[in-house]
Amino acid sequence: MSTSILSYRTRGWLRMSVEKQDTLLKMAVLSLAAILSFSCRLFSVLRFESVIHEFDPYFNYRTTKFLAEEGFYSFHNWFDDRAWYPLGRIIGGTIYPGLMVTSASIYHILNWLHITIDVRNVCVFLAPFFSSLTTIVTYHLAKELKSPGAGLVAAVMIAIVPGYISRSVAGSYDNEGIAIFCMLLTYYMWIKAVKTGTLFWSTMAALAYFYMVSSWGGYVFLINIIPLHVLILMITGRFSHRVYVAYSTLYVIGTILSMQISFVGFQPVSTSEHMGAFGVFGLCQIHAFVDYVRSRLNKAQFEVLFRAVISTVAATGVLVLVMLTAMGKIAPWTGRFYSLLDPSYAKNNIPIIASVSEHQPTAWSSFYFDLQMLTFMFPVGLYFCFSNLTDENIFIILYGVLSIYFAGVMVRLMLVLAPVMCILSGIAVSSMLSTYMKQIDEVKTEKKKTKFEGNYFMRSEIATFFVCVMSVFLVMYTLHCTWVTSEAYSSPSIVLSARGHDGSRIIFDDFREAYYWLRHNTPQDAKVMSWWDYGYQITAMANRTILVDNNTWNNTHISRVGQAMASTEDKAYEIMQELDVDYVLVIFGGLTGYSSDDINKFLWMVRIGGSTEKGTHIKEHDYYTPAGEFRVDKEGSPTLLNCLMYKMCYYRFGQVYTEGGKPPGYDRVRNVEIGNKDFELDVLEEAYTTEHWIVRIYKVKDLPNRGA
Amino acid sequence: MLDFVYGLPFLVLELPRLKLKRPSWVTVPSPMTVFAFILLSYFLVTGGIIYDVIVEPPSVGSTTDEHGHSRPVAFMAYRVNGQYIMEGLASSFMFALGGIGFIVLDQTHSPSTPKLNRILLIIIGFACIIISAIACYAFMKIKLPGYLMS
Repeated sequence: MSTSILSYRTRGWLRMSVEKQDTLLKMAVLSLAAILSFSCRLFSVLRFESVIHEFDPYFNYRTTKFLAEEGFYSFHNWFDDRAWYPLGRIIGGTIYPGLMVTSASIYHILNWLHITIDVRNVCVFLAPFFSSLTTIVTYHLAKELKSPGAGLVAAVMIAIVPGYISRSVAGSYDNEGIAIFCMLLTYYMWIKAVKTGTLFWSTMAALAYFYMVSSWGGYVFLINIIPLHVLILMITGRFSHRVYVAYSTLYVIGTILSMQISFVGFQPVSTSEHMGAFGVFGLCQIHAFVDYVRSRLNKAQFEVLFRAVISTVAATGVLVLVMLTAMGKIAPWTGRFYSLLDPSYAKNNIPIIASVSEHQPTAWSSFYFDLQMLTFMFPVGLYFCFSNLTDENIFIILYGVLSIYFAGVMVRLMLVLAPVMCILSGIAVSSMLSTYMKQIDEVKTEKKKTKFEGNYFMRSEIATFFVCVMSVFLVMYTLHCTWVTSEAYSSPSIVLSARGHDGSRIIFDDFREAYYWLRHNTPQDAKVMSWWDYGYQITAMANRTILVDNNTWNNTHISRVGQAMASTEDKAYEIMQELDVDYVLVIFGGLTGYSSDDINKFLWMVRIGGSTEKGTHIKEHDYYTPAGEFRVDKEGSPTLLNCLMYKMCYYRFGQVYTEGGKPPGYDRVRNVEIGNKDFELDVLEEAYTTEHWIVRIYKVKDLPNRGA
Repeated sequence: MLDFVYGLPFLVLELPRLKLKRPSWVTVPSPMTVFAFILLSYFLVTGGIIYDVIVEPPSVGSTTDEHGHSRPVAFMAYRVNGQYIMEGLASSFMFALGGIGFIVLDQTHSPSTPKLNRILLIIIGFACIIISAIACYAFMKIKLPGYLMS
């Protein structure tokens, strides 16, 4: 459009050529979008302080600090003996190092330039910085798919979409913060490779894929969606030499590079999740070879050869695959990924996966909450892609359809859906707006120039009305996204805040208070037992050895801890002696009304504790009342009222007045007066309780000096 | 030589006199057919059908009022990731309706449609868009009473 105007107007506004105005406008919009995406993620830093949020980021922060201080070789060979006592954890071989290496590099570069920023601040602000880069990559990707206008709309939409913000606020230092950038970069390089068919872009795509593999376990999605794209191009008859070059290069170089990450190791050649890519690679070679032979032979000879070869190859291929899977050389689909294909698998078989709230299926309100207007524009974008099918559009359609399904299975994967929603919505909004904007100015030529002119009705008024409606939609989107970010996704979880009766803000900093007490008041080699949620935070902030943490790689060990929490004091003492536990830490919300405490998580401890052979005496229905309810008052089951977790949470709570007009010992989360009030602890002694009773630490007493 | 190897199975087996053809109704579907299927699956997935199958919520909730009668509750309140079956399907119908409204508006640009058809399509398009946007805002407000209020 700019070139047609260029022909009769070379000097527009601001005494610049139209092309230069075009570039200036694009750069202005993109810079504003990048700055916007950085700034709207800073709510929690402004409200509280620059602190790492949640649980998993603390582990990433600890490993980044180690990498920044000790160097890459110690990091790569690191065996951590302060987690999973007495087993330990090989950190070098069980993490995706991309995030830590990126942060450590930025830290070293900034310090080399004498901009002295602490590692903690680099970690806190890394995710917003990468979201700005994501905005720019989204622009380029949508520009390749449709037009620069679509790119700009997609870029501003992804700057504030809540589905992406939820995992990339300042302080949320997790793999997804950089993984989305790497994923979109790989897709952009792949689309360029398919469009141009050059080795340069294919190799760049392989390098981007390597960066993606190093940053997140979700790379399995990429290594399945790209072969699926190639397969669909073959089925629809669009396979060409460009696709052949692009995919062969990407598969070979990308797979070799991905095996350089220790955690990935030999998985690309031995697990079923990667076999699809391998199969399509073989199919590519066969297809290209068949095309070549077809161009050299005449028709009859070709038919004979073709049929013979296809039948032999297909038969041997299937036979080999079945044999290898049966012999166990190719591992079948594993837990987390298998539960994407069969959502009920985790619920029935693996309680640890089922207990994580992020792994629940998605309800409609999560879609609307995280995406708002994009849920309307997504089908429209698909419609525009289907209207003119090209190789690239097929890719984005595939990505959109697959990610809608996966986001429906697991709430956490809404993150993977958000970029494609933005791109497709950008395509839709841009196409509709460019059609309608052309109609706003009435072209006043001679009346009835074409015989169809009379068929139009109030063309420019309708067009203006549509543009107004679309503007209202976009403004509502902005308001919604800002509100959601501010209210729902900016809480650091390690610091809680509430409003008092007079409207003043009360800050609950109990977690850090307890961890720093542990750090300063216990011996260096003390071992702390708690539920696995708090493991990473204890190792990072309290610097003490723990039994189980969020990595949850050893279900039996977690089950042992669950058995200790769910048993009576004497049985629990045996388990604690076996595991050399010195301190026990529990989270209790009854005084403040904090509902994510250990009593609410207790049923999961019972289920997981009872799921291994040493815990078969722990049955879930023992902890319910005869009516089948989970209650902590006088009606509660005696097994529950005498287990270790109950005693640790409610020790001395029976004398505390929590609410006006209620008896002492009133639990403000369960809203009942507790059943078992005045008891003494035999094998533990209270070591520390924080100001609002949220974290309670107990010391395990030593064996008595004399026998009974 | 190769002829001999090919001929080996036929020393034992006898060729049946059959003529098998691929049925003529098996074709690669047109893009718009595929789009229709995708829109249907979008309606089902965003309605939370997988949530319904796994968590098995009731079709509508119920609450007892002051006289002891049990009244139905349409929306599961205060929880962003929870729903009843009917509310999920109603909301995803609104999402699909909004999308269809925009698609209908896109069909109003060709010069050869008669004037009446064009006016009707435009009215339907705008009605779909505006109704679905207002409905989704209302649903969300019922679900989260503090929605868009700081």
